[in-house]
Amino acid sequence: MQYFALEQALNYLIQTGNLDLKPLDNKTIRFALQDLPIELNFISANGRIFVISDTERQNDVDIRLSAGVFFALFKGEDLTELLKQDKLIIHGDVKTVQCLVDLLHSVDIDLEEVLSHYTGDIIAHKAGKIAKDVKHLVQHSNNPLDALKDGLSQLLIMPTVSKLYKNNRH
Amino acid sequence: MNNTTHFGFKDVATKDKQHLVKGVFDSVASKYDLMNDVLSLGAHRLWKRYTIASSNVKTGDKVLDIAGGTGDLAIAFRQKVGKSGQVILSDINAAMLNEGRKNLINKGVFGVDFVQLNAQYLPFADNSFDCVSIAFGLRNVTDKDQALSEMHRILKPGGCLLILEFSTTDSKLLKKCYDFYSFNIMPTLGELIADDKASYQYLAESIRKHPDQETLKDRVLEAGFGFCEYHNLSGGIVALHKGIKV
Repeated sequence: MQYFALEQALNYLIQTGNLDLKPLDNKTIRFALQDLPIELNFISANGRIFVISDTERQNDVDIRLSAGVFFALFKGEDLTELLKQDKLIIHGDVKTVQCLVDLLHSVDIDLEEVLSHYTGDIIAHKAGKIAKDVKHLVQHSNNPLDALKDGLSQLLIMPTVSKLYKNNRH
Repeated sequence: MNNTTHFGFKDVATKDKQHLVKGVFDSVASKYDLMNDVLSLGAHRLWKRYTIASSNVKTGDKVLDIAGGTGDLAIAFRQKVGKSGQVILSDINAAMLNEGRKNLINKGVFGVDFVQLNAQYLPFADNSFDCVSIAFGLRNVTDKDQALSEMHRILKPGGCLLILEFSTTDSKLLKKCYDFYSFNIMPTLGELIADDKASYQYLAESIRKHPDQETLKDRVLEAGFGFCEYHNLSGGIVALHKGIKV
């Protein structure tokens, strides 16, 4: 659930024609944060992007980095510069990573907020996070009323992540 | 396949299950939506809304809704795929499919195709759908693994499978309350509103016999999907499994 807003935002941009997915076609890219039990797996397939939290599959590209570097990267820090400083390890094609980073720059979403689920008081934090997600989706949707309903639905049913992932936190 | 399977808590001959499930849905079809609203206190609409929002279905997509019943998902998918897309509402049960057809006409939704089919034998070409959904239907399928394989076969590479189904809650307190509600209140409401206690007793039992989240995830992966992730909804009373074909 924590990646719901990110996935929605990316696919909204794809639908509205603002993202070019061709360089990423059929690629799977994993970001593994070294200091937090977090993985983000981006799967580009069938003209859309899926964001999931765990997979046992071999990815095309694996990136290992700290949370701080991860957030810096998506706030505009230069990938090549971070690589030169040994702040991240990439197994796979760097150009593919650069394409994904460029795409994520196009998405107006606060990744720190998306992932802060893992760093703060989960219950207290959750409603606030969903409310922010809703605000974001409403602002970036071609159907704000529908987006609002989606957000309210989420607030009421409180989706939570897979058990496997939850166990990793302990 | 084994010679016996479960029908609620009973063991029955595998060949008989489909007929027994048909009996349940023939009986509840006309009151299906009303009962869903009453029994879930309206939450089934939220679970389905979350499913649609998670689908990533877009304009021009081809979507199959299996065990689609009264058409809640099909209506929402129809809006998402637009005129250039295609939505097929399917169900094994003719009475449910007829309720779906009536519901769509009453709501002024056109352009949805209706197909009566068994999820274990999908009459569609390989790699032909962008999304396949099944909401509150998989637990009634006799051979779930065969059905999952069929869903995998008809999805395009990169296609998405959505399974919305009752599941298992981790919370002991919630489980106690939910068990009491399922085995005491649900059948009684079924008797009062739909004049059918047995079908709602079956509903409660079939939920307990359905694989838990991790088991179902493994079975989705075993069916050939490259990725599968599930989200627990309402404390795990319901889970949405999302499989992606690679």
